[in-house]
Parts: sequence; structure tokens; C-alpha cells
Amino acid sequence: MTALLSRPAARILIGLIAPALFLSWWQWQASAGGAHAFAFAPLQSIGAAFVQLIEDGSLVTDMVATLSRSLAGLAIGGTLGIALGVAMAIWHPLDRVLGPLLNAIRQVPLIGWLPLLGLWFGTGQGTELIVVSLSAFFPALLNSYEGVAHVERRYLDIGLLYGFTAAQRFRLILLPAAMPLILTGLTQALAFAWIASIATEILLSAGSGLGVTMQLAQTQQRLDIILVAIIATAMLGFTINHLFQRLRRHLLRWQPSAL
Amino acid sequence: MTAAALASPAVDRSRSRSSRSPLAALVAPLVLVALWQLTCLSGLFPPQVLVPPSEVGETLWSLALSGELERHVGESMFRLSLGYVIGAVAGLVFGATIALSRLAEAALSPFFLAIWQVPVIAFVPVLVIFLGIDEPFKIAIVALATFFPVALATFDGIRSVPKAWFDVARVYRTRLPDLIGRILIPATIPAVLTGMRVALTRAWVVLVAAELLAADSGIGQMMEMGRQMFRIDVVLAGVVVSGLIGFALDRGAKAIEHRAIRWKYA
Amino acid sequence: MYVDPRPPSISSASEATARGALTVNDLHKSFAIGGDSRLVLDNINLTVKPGEFVSIVGASGCGKSTLLRLIVGLDAEYSGEIRLDGERVATTSLDRGIVFQDHRLFPWMTLQQNVELALLNTDTPKARRAQIVADHIALVGLQGFEQAYPHQLSGGMAQRAAIARALVTEPKLLLLDEPLGALDALTRVRVQNELQRIWMAQRSTVLMVTHDVEEALYLGDRVVVMAPDPGRIRRIVEIDLPHPRDRRAPLLHKLKDEILAELTAAPADPANLVRLPGREGR
Repeated sequence: MTALLSRPAARILIGLIAPALFLSWWQWQASAGGAHAFAFAPLQSIGAAFVQLIEDGSLVTDMVATLSRSLAGLAIGGTLGIALGVAMAIWHPLDRVLGPLLNAIRQVPLIGWLPLLGLWFGTGQGTELIVVSLSAFFPALLNSYEGVAHVERRYLDIGLLYGFTAAQRFRLILLPAAMPLILTGLTQALAFAWIASIATEILLSAGSGLGVTMQLAQTQQRLDIILVAIIATAMLGFTINHLFQRLRRHLLRWQPSAL
Repeated sequence: MTAAALASPAVDRSRSRSSRSPLAALVAPLVLVALWQLTCLSGLFPPQVLVPPSEVGETLWSLALSGELERHVGESMFRLSLGYVIGAVAGLVFGATIALSRLAEAALSPFFLAIWQVPVIAFVPVLVIFLGIDEPFKIAIVALATFFPVALATFDGIRSVPKAWFDVARVYRTRLPDLIGRILIPATIPAVLTGMRVALTRAWVVLVAAELLAADSGIGQMMEMGRQMFRIDVVLAGVVVSGLIGFALDRGAKAIEHRAIRWKYA
Repeated sequence: MYVDPRPPSISSASEATARGALTVNDLHKSFAIGGDSRLVLDNINLTVKPGEFVSIVGASGCGKSTLLRLIVGLDAEYSGEIRLDGERVATTSLDRGIVFQDHRLFPWMTLQQNVELALLNTDTPKARRAQIVADHIALVGLQGFEQAYPHQLSGGMAQRAAIARALVTEPKLLLLDEPLGALDALTRVRVQNELQRIWMAQRSTVLMVTHDVEEALYLGDRVVVMAPDPGRIRRIVEIDLPHPRDRRAPLLHKLKDEILAELTAAPADPANLVRLPGREGR
């Protein structure tokens, strides 16, 4: 058995069993006329919907919209998070003042802020961007803080030995040494921003985006469109995460082996 | 997004900071509340935008008195508990299965990982079509949100039991029940409990989101109604309650985690 | 006899007179451990001539590393005197370089960048730096590895890189804190030979701490034998053999046996009892 499983061809085939079974079951449900038949969209219609969404350009528009929202939120929240995290790790008074406050705010699930933000800023794309930025902010903040706070003493000693100024210490020791954790923070922030994008699009339906399309399709009972959007979400999410990991590996190429 | 990307930060800072004493953890929120009250008193923001904590407190109080708060919280908790138990059990079973059987892993994990790429919230429209907006839908989404982290944590936990321990067990000819009870389970409990804690927090967030979207009761729905009626005090009351519940859930789960893995930190 | 390969000195020529004379007088150092004050170094007196290679040996806990940290200036709390060429040591300075047991090269910089950063805050004109760095990398035998990251270097190579970094500022005094302790036995012998060659070319004053008695005797002009609890100098051995040394020299073996016997003396010797303050009769 183990020998069989170690052959890549065999693994691929076995891996396809579950999805194949699932799709067959799905198709059967769609055509069997059972209680939920109205809900199950036949596989052909999903394919047709896919083609249609490509042709009228809306799938691409949606993907671009969600992606831009996520990246914008990552840029805003991530940058602020890193800046504040690094600052708090370097200046302890700032940490003592802001730390507990930020920790308290963190307890409220971000989605819980949505109605409040909706009242303050309306239910448009601006609010969506704020929530996405906030969700990128905290992982970036926490990890950047840890990264800088735990820079090894022995590297700082070297800085002392060679008379590093504060600026040199920051540029040549703190920042590079903290970079692995900062990038971990950004990876998490990207993941959270992506999820927050989809979530706010579903909840607020402002502008365009994969989540907006899903929500709209739900009101129209168009399961086929929803499924196309879900598959697009999965693939796009996987791709940008994968690309980000490649970027991270390049930036951290000085690290020994697989870290 | 991969599980690794969604794990907690490398070092759990909140533990080192506020586990020193439960009182210390209260200082920050109290300061926050004090600042909030002062900001309102200064008249910096009109009442449509910000309402002082005193007023929020009154609203909470009246909601509590009328039993409405209890109803909302109760509904939310009911959905959370039921969905969580279902999802956690399913996750444990699934995670253990693919960890212990190479065949199961080969057959099931590609599909599992493919679905894992989709944020759970994206399944809300799908589930609404199938299940409507009633209780089954909310319980299902909570179960889904719980399932993935628990399954992954269980898988990781079992797979990372050092092979060396199995070797030791073989040398001493340990019987299977002992192997499972005395070696496997204690070895995997830390990872599994962490996964269950993460799942709990996630499940709570997803539930609130689902209630915001489609529900007739629950904390999320309470906030959404508040928003639609421009009752910012109600919205803020909801924020406070959901924050407190989230905090309590997290702390409770951490406490259980620490009790169970005392041997690790002894 | 030896052609000095050092590039034009970064310090003024007049300092060629007394470069690297170290005097330590009546040095005492205590640490506060859990409320108690523990004497770590007791009445250390040591004079090192310029260009001399002095080894320090002793069991764990005799304060060897603490002594080095005080001399290099990473720790400024002590009573007594530490002077380099007459000047009191209070803080770190480019006059004194140190190589640690873990090379402490910055993992995120290449070998060349690591060595070059020692020159960051010196007066050396930027144009000259690349050449000086290249010369020192060649000195330790690492030509060709300038663009390698530390994780790509072997233990011995990384340690040689650390030595290059310590030497590139041409310090008056070079301190080595168990520099070869992390290396396997074979690499250690090789790097010891390298160290001897480099020192003979540079002739900086060197103070090396090691737990390897053979290494101490092979490399040092003098060997300081320390005893622990509190750390103090038991005796100083002179080795009147020319460099480069022959490892088989009978004098070295005789001294090694003597010193080892001293260091591993039976606990009945009161000087070797571990004494913790406030815990008599343990």
C-alpha cells in the first residue's frame, strides 16, 4: 500500500476520487428531482455560468475589485501595523500606553465593528476598505512587535562593539533581524485582508467584487453564479498566497534551509 | 489561505502580558471606557456619531431588564454551542482519520485543502440558498468554521508525534490501548486544544457575521437592527457584548488549554 | 623575516610605539544573583605586553568570559583598573576587538558586508574600505566566499570570518572568547594553525580564553591558569618556545599534564570547593 501511495500518478488518481464522487452526487441531486433539486444547479449550468461571466467581463472585474481591495487594505493596515509595532517595540513608553488599549480593542471581532462603522461612514466601499485595513493591521502589528522585541541580544552586542548609532542599529540590526516575523505578520495580514474583503463584500455589497456577486446571486437564487464565484475565490486566494510565499522566500534567502 | 497563515502570532503576547493577574487585564478596557466617556463629555462628536458609555450602559441595562438581551445572547450561544460541537467532533474524526491512514489522506486531503482555500464566510450565500436563513443555516456555518481549524490541528498534532516515541513504545511492548491512551493522546492534546481554541474564536466571529446578514435574533442581528434604526447606543451595546463574549470565550479556552497541558510548562 | 601584509594603518603611525599594552590591576567583579552578591572575579592582576599572545584556561565558572567582557567594555561595572596603553577601559572601542564562541555574523549580510560593517564608524575613507576588507578576507583564507551568507559557511569558515571582522579595524587588542569551542576536533586543529599564522602576520596583542589546555599552550606565549569560585589567577606559565610551534614539543606536553592535573584536582582541595554565599555546611 505504501509503495502504491508513493507513486505520484497513483496519488493523483486517488486524490481525484473524492471530488469525482462529490460531483457525481451533486449531479444526481440536481437531476433526481428530490426536495432540494431547485437548489442544486446542474454541472452544465455552472459551466455555462462560468463562460457567461467571463464573456461579459464581470468575473474579471470582480476578481480585480476584490484583489485591489485586499491589497489596498494590506498596504494601509499592514504599513500602519508594522510602523506601530516596530515603534512600540523600540519605545517602551509607547508600548505601555498603547499596548493594553490595542489589546482591548482586539477582543471585539472585527465584523462586530461593521454596524458601527456603517453608522459612522455609511455602507459603501469606504467602510469596506476600513474593515479590510483593520483586519490587516493587527497581525502586522503583533508580529512586527514580536520581531523587534526579540532581536537577539548577541547581535545588539556587535552593534555596541562597532559603535553603531541608533539609526544604524535600526537599519542594520533590528529591521533585518525582525524581518522574518514582520513578513509572517504580513502573510497573516494578507490572509485576513482577503477574508475581510470577501466578508464585507457579502455583508455590505458595495461596489463590485466576488463577495458582492455571491450575495447578489443568492438573492436571485442563482447557485451556479455563486459557485463560479466561490471557485474563483479559492483559486485567486491560493495564487496570491503562493506568490507572496515566493516573495517572502526571496527576501529571506539568507535564512538557513526551510524556515 | 493556508492554515499556517491564519495561526496566531509566533509568540502569544497576550499571555505574557495579562495572565499575571486578571485584574491587570481590566485596566486597559477601563482606561478605554474612561477615555470614551471623556470624549463624549467634551462634545467633540455629535450624539449621532458617538454616545457615552453611560448611555450604552443604560441601554444594556434596559435590554437586560426586558429580557431582550438574554434572548439575543441565548440564541447566539445556542447556535455557537451546537455548531461548535458538531464541527469540532467532525474535525477531530476527520483530522485523526487522515493523520492515521495514508490512504485516507491521499484520497481526502486534496479535496479538503481545495475547500480550505475558500474563506468560510463565502459559504454563507450557498448555505442560505440550501438552508434558508433559519437556525440550520447558522448552526451549519458555525460548524463549518469550526471544522477546518480543528481538523488541521488534529492532523498536525498526530503527525508530529515523534517517531522516536513509537519506537520506545515498541521496545517496551506497549499494548495498543496504552499506546493510544498514554502516548498518543497526551502528545496530541496541546495541538488539538490550540486548534479548538482558534476554532472557537473563529466560529464566534462567523456567527456574528452570519447574524448581521440574515437572522431574526442574536447579537449580530441586534446590532444590525440598531444600525438600521440609527440607534447607535444599541449598536455600541452589541459591540461591547460581543467583545466581552469573545474575550470570555478566548480566556476560558486558554485556561482549559493550560490546565490540560500543565506538564509542558511545569 | 615576516613581511607585514597589513594595509596602510588606519590609525596614525605614531601609535606604532605602544600598541596594545594591557594592564589589569586589582580587578574585582560581583554579580547580584537573587539578592545575594556573588564574587565572580577576585583580585585579578595581569599585564600583557604589546604583540603578546596570552591564553587563559580554567574550569567553567572561573569568570574567564566575564573577564573578557570587562576588558572589551561590554560591561563597565567593576572595581579595580583595566587600562589599554594607559587609557582606562570604560566602554567599547574599536581599539579592542573580540571574537565569540558563536561567530555572531549577521545572518542577513554576506561575508563581505559583515566584515565591512566593522569599518562603518571609522575614519577610513570609503574608497579604501573595499580593499581593506578584501585583504582581511584573504588573510583568513576565505577568498571566493565574499558573497556567501553565514548559513552557507561551515563552522570553521564562519569563525574565520568573525576573526577577519575583528581584525579589520586593526585593534590594538584582540580578545578571543573560546573561539574554537563550537568546532569539531579536526576543524579546531586546522583553525588553530590558521590563528597562529594570522597572529604571526598581524602581531596584535591577543588574549584568548579557552577550556582546551593543549590549545592554550600551543598558541600562547604565556598561559594564565584560573581557579573558580571566585574566579582568580592561580598561576601564570611562561612558554619560551618560538612560533610557529611544534605540537610534539615535550615542554608543551609536560606543561599540559601539569596544568590538567591542577585543574582536575580532587575536591578535597578547599580551593576547589564550590561555595555559594550564605549556604555554609552544604
